[in-house]
Amino acid sequence: MIRYAWLEVRRTLREPAFVIFGVGMPVLMYLLFTRLGGGADGDWAATAMVGMAAYGALGSALSQGTVLAEDKTLGWLRQLRVTPLRPVEIVAGRALTASVVVLPAIVVVLAAGALVNGVSLHAWQWGALAFLLWIGTAPFTLLGLGNGYHLSAQTTGLVNMGCTLLLSIIGGLWFPSTLLPDWLGGIAQWTPAHSFAELGLSVTRGSHPTAGTVSVLAGWLLLFGGYAVHAYRRSARRV
Amino acid sequence: MTMTEGTPRAVSVTGAVRTYGTVRAVDGIDMSIARGETVALLGRNGAGKTTSIGLLLGLEEPEAGDVRLFGGPPRRAVGAGRVGAMLQEGRLIPRVTVRELVTFVAHSYPRPLPVRETLELAGLDDVADRRADRLSGGQTQRVRFALALAGNPELVVLDEPTAALDVEARRSFWTSMNRYAQRGNTVLFSTHYLEEADGNADRVVVIDRGRIVADGSGEEVKRAVGGNLVSFDLAGSGTAWLRDLPGVLSVEVRRDRAFLRTTDSDATVVALARLGALRRLEVTAASLEDAFLALTAAPRPEGATR
Repeated sequence: MIRYAWLEVRRTLREPAFVIFGVGMPVLMYLLFTRLGGGADGDWAATAMVGMAAYGALGSALSQGTVLAEDKTLGWLRQLRVTPLRPVEIVAGRALTASVVVLPAIVVVLAAGALVNGVSLHAWQWGALAFLLWIGTAPFTLLGLGNGYHLSAQTTGLVNMGCTLLLSIIGGLWFPSTLLPDWLGGIAQWTPAHSFAELGLSVTRGSHPTAGTVSVLAGWLLLFGGYAVHAYRRSARRV
Repeated sequence: MTMTEGTPRAVSVTGAVRTYGTVRAVDGIDMSIARGETVALLGRNGAGKTTSIGLLLGLEEPEAGDVRLFGGPPRRAVGAGRVGAMLQEGRLIPRVTVRELVTFVAHSYPRPLPVRETLELAGLDDVADRRADRLSGGQTQRVRFALALAGNPELVVLDEPTAALDVEARRSFWTSMNRYAQRGNTVLFSTHYLEEADGNADRVVVIDRGRIVADGSGEEVKRAVGGNLVSFDLAGSGTAWLRDLPGVLSVEVRRDRAFLRTTDSDATVVALARLGALRRLEVTAASLEDAFLALTAAPRPEGATR
């Protein structure tokens, strides 16, 4: 399983599109959003930093599902079924891979916040922020894997990209969800990406995530987890 | 086929059935392979080779009958690392080198071959550090072969390993395969070339329409499927007498040329010579396609629907 994850991490990091869109894009957007018009105030610099780190991590997590769908199309998943690796090790290896490949986006955006925009937090806050953004990607990894098992390679790519954009925008990762129309803003509170960003934002405010935020995200984790298990079982009969 | 007592056979299939909708892809096959044997599964496209292999590897479940590898269920043998396989039409994943891929698969087995040895056996020394998705068709096929044997499994199953290879690549592939088989491993490969089956296997099992129609040495199978093909120009003479020639199994006439399938081409030709009928005579080994036409031309009990 570890070896599988290690193989997959190397593959992901060698993908130029992953490096450009998964890591480069969030940093670029962060700097664009905060540096245009003569710099931003401290609050916005920190809020946008969390939002963009969350957006990058979410996108990277979902992209694992896209790679999975491609491997399925290539016949690689079927090839793995004739090795001693158990199917559950494959899924776990994928999830483990996702938990590694979300790190670059998080680290790079936080570094840009600290070094370029002078966001100043206590050491514990940096640590807690990075940790929460890392652990909070779990629901999105499962959603991506669910799509990967469920859909064809081409569709998965589009659906995962669509999910990334939609969840990011509604969840208020690009701009505060208070700027959305009221009815949408109300829904936004309950979306997974919003709760995900809230995990981090609570820390930048010097506090901790509320029970509400955590339970909403946990709910999504269960839902996406169920979807991933269902999609996996369905596909295991055909792969 | 007899079952030997004692150590279980590498492969033992009894009465296996697998259907897809209304198509009986595998229609009650029995097959047994002893350890150390190299067996060819010979059949046309759509004969049921890939489905049989899927059943054998536990990728498919039989609806009826029983499939055992080393005396147990296929998934157990696969899980224990006793089986390696080269599936049909798998492509290689991008952004990894050949060596990384072989190393990864090798380490998923309990007692793998050293990676260097696998690469050498499969003839991949030169391309070991190239990316797996940037290889030629022949090289890709060799990598897939390397993945099948990387774990040093007791049984290697190869589904049409030479499909889409040119003559040169095909020859070098069989050289590698025979080298591996000589180490005492059990090998089952499928092919639709009679000469490949004959030249590289101890035994040939012929499958058609999901059933096993012949099982024996290459010679036996060639005889069973109708030996040689004798053809000559009729030059206007009738065709009724052709069936009475010695050895002739079947007669076909195309554009005033007779094609005789015969079990004894010598006798057939001598008879033709006596009758002074040798016009542009040719004797060729029966191609598998011809052989199957002969084998399956006989009416089937339930009446052929296709």
